[in-house]
Amino acid sequence: MRLKKLSLGVVAAVTAVLLAGCGGSPAEQKAAGPAPTDLKANITYGYWDANQTPAMDKLIADFNAKYPNIKVTSQVTPWAQYWTKLQTQASSNTLPDVFWMNGPNFQLYASNGQLAPITPLVDSKQVDPANYPDALNKLYSLDGKQYGVPKDFDTIALWYNKKIFAEAGVAVPTNDWTTAEFKTAAKTISDKLKSKGIYGVATNLVGGQEGYYDSILQAGGNVISADGKTSGYDDPKSIKGLQLWADLIADGSSPNMQQMSDTPANKWFDNGKAAMIWTGTWMVSEVNASPVKNDVTVVPLPKDERAATVIHGIGNVVSAKTPNMQAAQAFQAFLGTKEAALAQATMGAANPAFNGTQQAFVDSVPSFNIQVFEDAATKYAFPFPVSKNTAAWNQLEATLLPDAFSGKKPVGDVAKDLATQMNALLAKEK
Amino acid sequence: MSELTVGRTRPKARKIVRRDGSHALAHTVLIIGSIIMIFPFAWQIIMSLSTNSQVMSIPPTFWPGDLQWKNFADVFTVMPFMSQFWVSITITVVRVLGQVVLCSMAGYAFARMRFSFKGVVLGLILAILMVPSQVFLIPQYQIVQNLGWLNTSAGIIAPGIFSAFGTFMMRQFFLGLPLELEEAARLDGCNPFQTFWRIMLPLAKPGLSALAIITVLWSWNDLLWPLVVTTYAQNMPLSAGLATLQGQNATNYPVLMAASLLASAPVLILFLAMQRRVIDGIAFSGMK
Amino acid sequence: MSLNTVAKAGAPGRAPAGRRASRLGRSNPDGIWPVVFVLPLFLGVAVFYLFPIIQTAYFSFTTWGVFGGSTFTGLENYSKLATDPQVGRALLNTLIYTVVVLAGVPIAVGLASLVNRPGLRFSKTYRTMFFLPYVAMPVAISMVWRMIYNGDFGVLNYFLSLFGILGPHWVSTDGLALISVALLGLWISIGFNMIILSAGLKGIPVELYEAASIDGASRFRQFRQITVPLLTPSIFFVMVITIINGFQLFDLLYTLLGTTNPAMARSQSLVYLFYNESFIQNDKGYGAAIAILVLVLVGIFTAVQFRFQRRWVNYV
Repeated sequence: MRLKKLSLGVVAAVTAVLLAGCGGSPAEQKAAGPAPTDLKANITYGYWDANQTPAMDKLIADFNAKYPNIKVTSQVTPWAQYWTKLQTQASSNTLPDVFWMNGPNFQLYASNGQLAPITPLVDSKQVDPANYPDALNKLYSLDGKQYGVPKDFDTIALWYNKKIFAEAGVAVPTNDWTTAEFKTAAKTISDKLKSKGIYGVATNLVGGQEGYYDSILQAGGNVISADGKTSGYDDPKSIKGLQLWADLIADGSSPNMQQMSDTPANKWFDNGKAAMIWTGTWMVSEVNASPVKNDVTVVPLPKDERAATVIHGIGNVVSAKTPNMQAAQAFQAFLGTKEAALAQATMGAANPAFNGTQQAFVDSVPSFNIQVFEDAATKYAFPFPVSKNTAAWNQLEATLLPDAFSGKKPVGDVAKDLATQMNALLAKEK
Repeated sequence: MSELTVGRTRPKARKIVRRDGSHALAHTVLIIGSIIMIFPFAWQIIMSLSTNSQVMSIPPTFWPGDLQWKNFADVFTVMPFMSQFWVSITITVVRVLGQVVLCSMAGYAFARMRFSFKGVVLGLILAILMVPSQVFLIPQYQIVQNLGWLNTSAGIIAPGIFSAFGTFMMRQFFLGLPLELEEAARLDGCNPFQTFWRIMLPLAKPGLSALAIITVLWSWNDLLWPLVVTTYAQNMPLSAGLATLQGQNATNYPVLMAASLLASAPVLILFLAMQRRVIDGIAFSGMK
Repeated sequence: MSLNTVAKAGAPGRAPAGRRASRLGRSNPDGIWPVVFVLPLFLGVAVFYLFPIIQTAYFSFTTWGVFGGSTFTGLENYSKLATDPQVGRALLNTLIYTVVVLAGVPIAVGLASLVNRPGLRFSKTYRTMFFLPYVAMPVAISMVWRMIYNGDFGVLNYFLSLFGILGPHWVSTDGLALISVALLGLWISIGFNMIILSAGLKGIPVELYEAASIDGASRFRQFRQITVPLLTPSIFFVMVITIINGFQLFDLLYTLLGTTNPAMARSQSLVYLFYNESFIQNDKGYGAAIAILVLVLVGIFTAVQFRFQRRWVNYV
């Protein structure tokens, strides 16, 4: 008897030692505190926007002030090839240690085990989700676990050109405009100034972030159900939201789909050929460098049944298979700090996600009334519609909706067709 | 094909007059064609000397007025131009040399040697041209990864040395050369390699230079594969570096245009130099 | 060299009797040499290209996970292929594109012979100009051509408006978009074709033209009866390559039209469909099936061309 107990004890002791050994492997998640400041590692940071390189370089430098022995190398891939390359890297386990992720692609990577959860960082208080807009945290969470630390965000607002309004003799938009008032103003301006090649409104309709996602939400509909399993396109309210744009093109208030494909909506606006545009925070620097910069300002989007805008932002994620988990997560945590957010705002790189840090960005161009974007994020922002394979049904939207907007087919029919096909794709997602 | 009269004795040599009216027609056609070819470049040059808002303006600005030469200087600050330039040179030189050697040898074998399964082997090699090139992206990435060549010039070069296109082209070219010389060489006792090296290869110079030029251009402009294989900007060739200048929402177009002009310049100069020497060269001295 | 030898150019190349016999017997009269000449290339091709193709063929019979892992599904992808209307349209678009770009071959033959005329001044300049499109960086070319083709503010429509014609939206109108892409492909390919054909032209002995001139043949007759027939190996090559490249249409569509273009849905090529299915829809198994379809189609076209070459291609 005693021998048995002894053996049991030995087994237990050996097991404990083995388990302790397992817990020490670098690939495991550790809920221990912040990484030691003398930690040595070489990590890569992957992102797509060359315009933000100066800001990213500054963040790396600031990070190195705390962690001098962690060498961070940037890996910039142009947007057009970013996702193809990322997939290639993921298939071969050579993902960058830390990299940018966006809403539409997030679930694909998270659900396939490619991303590391930020739970250890949250537990050790290095990252606090309460610092970021809730919709963004949700965007980068799956099955209750959060994987991405929000970096920045965009909301959509109504930009308008005071000079054109004055020329057409139309009252400028107010903070409480309704959709009906918006439509009327657009039509009046177009009617009066079409001969000069000026339209009432131009808005990018490929990809719904700037236009139809927002109008669908404003009309009380939605693009996808909250659980991400059913399409919302066949909802009559969603169809009403789509109809807005078809009407604007039909009555000449907006350039048609072909015109906006040849010449993007923002170009019409930047050159004073469109009085209004629905677009987001990222346009600040572009408009500020354009010929119309002194004539332009921003108000909230018009309200229909409710005020609404989608909110979207980039998240910093860590590869689940990285051999440098500690260093990578230390960097990820740093990128989510107030300090990093303020640096981005001051350099005008992006509108940072950390609550309360946006003032520098707002102040960068006072005449643009950028506060509207910040208020939108807290007051009436809705999460960006995504699912496990968002890209697949985004493709459907791009293929089917142009016929609805251009008037070739009735909006209702196209929307119902889109809903059916989208549901088929959603059913295929595991 | 109707045959030319053969065996008729030549009349006393008469100086053949070249300046006749048909040259004028040729010039007209060629000038119109040239304008169509040149116009986009002229515009590219104009854009590289404009400001970004001039490039983005509608209607387009055809003459910037104030020439922005600084765009060309900016190129060197927005991208590691010189190190990317050397990468481009390295990968191009190695790829061209590799292809010239491998494709001329294989092309000659397919054209002039007889061996079993020749057709099958040629077919297999040509088959690789017939599949969408992105098919190779992930498998080649994994092979290069296994060789430890990720993010190196070797990794960029490796798949590109083996060219079905080059082999096919050299085969056609060798098929177009007369058999008599080869037969003479064999009767003299040369083995196939000596025949190849001493006689056929010198005759193949026009074909080889055509192959070289095409390979240089393809390699210089090759984008997707180098972009995927390399991670750091200074290991990328110019083509990939250029693509990186395009932001997601906004691009500095004049600098992009200036950079692409600077990136195309070396190849253009090379073509001008080679053109004079080789395509204009004497190809058929061996025939006399 | 007597004209007799050249006049024999009607029979395809055939090795006359009397080749040195080798120890390896009749099947390999050249001995080990073909192996030496071909093996290095073939090995590289096998490792880097043939192996992935075999992999792709295998994966076309599976459902392939986004980041790896596959389950065997037999002919499912192929039956989907047979009934997918997108495939038929993509095939038609690819054929249309290829036919338009093939028109570049006779154009290039004509231009190359014009440029290579003995005694023509500025021939080097012309040659450079025609070659320029091929030299330029693709990213710049597509940007400039987008501006040329722009429906509201583009140069082409501006030019047409001088004649009172209201130009269409070249790049965003269904049907027309594909033709616009094809014209760009044609523009780029002319330079490339001219290089190959120039090399071929250099291989035609000048004496033939001199003799023909003395015999009183007109320039055009010389072109028809000396140039073209002796150029056929190069013309054949250019045709085969053009058709193969035509089937590979992707980059131009991607850069000139762009994924956000309303005309893109009906202008897709087979390779674009492959890219879409593999990298965007993440259905790599189906994408693999499309790739195999392209391989089979192009293989058939090429084999047919090779078979028919005896009828019109003259190897000396």
